[in-house]
Amino acid sequence: MRRIIASVRDGRGFDFVLVGVPFAFLFALAGLPLIYNILMSFQEVDMFSLGSFIRPFVGIDNYVALFRQPETWPILTNTLIFVVGSIAGQFVIGFGLALFFWTSFPGASWLRGLFLVSWVMPGLVVGAIWNWILSGDFGVLNFFLRESGLITANIFWRSDPNFSLWAVVIANIWLGTSFNMILLSVGLSAIPGDLYEAADMDGANAWQRFWTITLPMMRSTIGAIIALGLIFTLQQFDLFAAITDGGPNNSSNVAQYWAWDLSFRQYDFGRGATISVIMTVFVMFAAAVYVRSTRHEVRG
Amino acid sequence: MTQQIELSGINKYYGAYHALRDINLSIPKGAFVALVGPSGCGKSTLLRSLAGLETISSGDLVIAGERMNDMPPRKRDLAMVFQSYALYPHMTVEQNLTYSLRIKGVKKAQAKKAAEEVAAITGLSDLLHRYPRELSGGQRQRVAMSRAIIRHPKAFLFDEPLSNLDAALRVHMRKEIRALHDRLGATSVYVTHDQVEAMTMADHVVIMRAGVIEQQGRPLDLYDRPANRFVAGFIGSPAMNFIPAKIGENGRSLVLDLPGTQMLDLDLALQPGREVLVGVRPEHLVIAPPDQLGFDVPIVAIESTGATTFVTTQTSPEIVFVQNGRSSLQAGHTVRLGFALENVHIFDAASEQRLSGD
Repeated sequence: MRRIIASVRDGRGFDFVLVGVPFAFLFALAGLPLIYNILMSFQEVDMFSLGSFIRPFVGIDNYVALFRQPETWPILTNTLIFVVGSIAGQFVIGFGLALFFWTSFPGASWLRGLFLVSWVMPGLVVGAIWNWILSGDFGVLNFFLRESGLITANIFWRSDPNFSLWAVVIANIWLGTSFNMILLSVGLSAIPGDLYEAADMDGANAWQRFWTITLPMMRSTIGAIIALGLIFTLQQFDLFAAITDGGPNNSSNVAQYWAWDLSFRQYDFGRGATISVIMTVFVMFAAAVYVRSTRHEVRG
Repeated sequence: MTQQIELSGINKYYGAYHALRDINLSIPKGAFVALVGPSGCGKSTLLRSLAGLETISSGDLVIAGERMNDMPPRKRDLAMVFQSYALYPHMTVEQNLTYSLRIKGVKKAQAKKAAEEVAAITGLSDLLHRYPRELSGGQRQRVAMSRAIIRHPKAFLFDEPLSNLDAALRVHMRKEIRALHDRLGATSVYVTHDQVEAMTMADHVVIMRAGVIEQQGRPLDLYDRPANRFVAGFIGSPAMNFIPAKIGENGRSLVLDLPGTQMLDLDLALQPGREVLVGVRPEHLVIAPPDQLGFDVPIVAIESTGATTFVTTQTSPEIVFVQNGRSSLQAGHTVRLGFALENVHIFDAASEQRLSGD
């Protein structure tokens, strides 16, 4: 013990202190709640046992019971649709915009900066705006679709079970596109220009240059963005609260919203924690992909 | 000889900036042409205009008989070796080499065979499966060259390809590039700021300054008969000495602006009293016996490389001369320097153009 203190005092153990402080911080604020959450998923935690320190241990009963509930699979399917739909939309539109601004016309960087406005807006505000846009009676989206002849009757986006999930997906794509665009813009600008010149001299046209230079050089950025997208969409909560509230009849409910609903509306904290643990596994997987993709950056 | 590349009246503007001024240049098939000049002289711009990476504002660019002004780079069939090499970092050496072939749709087996053949020439056979980041600077340089060779292009364009290598490797690669050029019977345009590279590698040297071709010709012709003071000072190391002088009253003699000089007879007639610059290369200055024509100069510094000794004088402007082997001179000595008249270049003091004949 005295040796450890001495090594800190003479500066040799200082690096351990520097690592230790953030590590302790992380453990207290992220590690402990995570462990506590896992623990709760193996306990019966409801209004009666919430206040006690030692709660009844139920093993994997929560997991078994959860998967016996009829709404579980539809909600997990909704989650999958929400994640894939949001990421695909954000990525494709974000990449398109990034390529568009990459052509650097006058004012390009200024305009690109303005796009970030959508990302800095709180989810609840975005939800409120999209509530108006998506509104069945007076919504602007319905107006455009109707006037352009795509639909004949109004779509009740938020209350029609066939559309309610897509209402949130659309809002989420709008919210996340600019973040995708900025990261992809950074990735694009990191590709040395002389590679394109070399490829041009080697006979590649614009389309071939995109497939053989741009895309492979963007691999790590794309990997990072998909992984971050998975994390962000699994965290998306505000939009559900603001637009559909998971309804009607769970048609737009997703795992993260359901976990909150179970815990704080139905007061079944054990089952809420169980869903969180299942989601944590997916997010951990995404995090591992993200860390790997940033490590594999291509350098010339 | 057929002309592989023909530039006539090429001008290039960046906004109001006139980067290339009325460039005329003919490059015969099989020639090795060096574009040389200080940075910002337009030599790289000229090369990139050839490649199609820059557009030409006016004039005609003809490659192998075809006007190429508005042709995109990929249709010009020229290969370029970049200063940064511009290797594709996500591809192995073999993929780098075969990129152009794969784009053209050449079969895999055939492309692989071509890569192996070129790699054998450039000594990359063992490195075909490495990535560029796993190669040394010299090896990357070879990959960049091989990528150009594999295409059998109409011409090779080199943009300061050796400037990122260390001095020893640079001297070696100089010979190797020239040997490859001869072996392939290629046409090459080589941009460099190093006059030694230009002199040793090229058949035809083009000296540029501020977007203008100051002089072009065979390397030794430029050395022997520089057209103006800039070219005279640019070619040769150490650089030529320039001594201010006046033409004597008879118009056939020269009075150097140095203490204790006599009149030197000229073999050409110039306007009496005209101010000129006399250029003498350091290797043409000799120590003269006291009874011969010359000028007395005090010595301020002696630098010896072993094989040769550079001596600097305490005059204004300072004069450098070269002695072979070791020198017995010391700083503080005064020597009498002389030169043969046929080794003297006379330039007009104002226009800096050459006055003396051949």
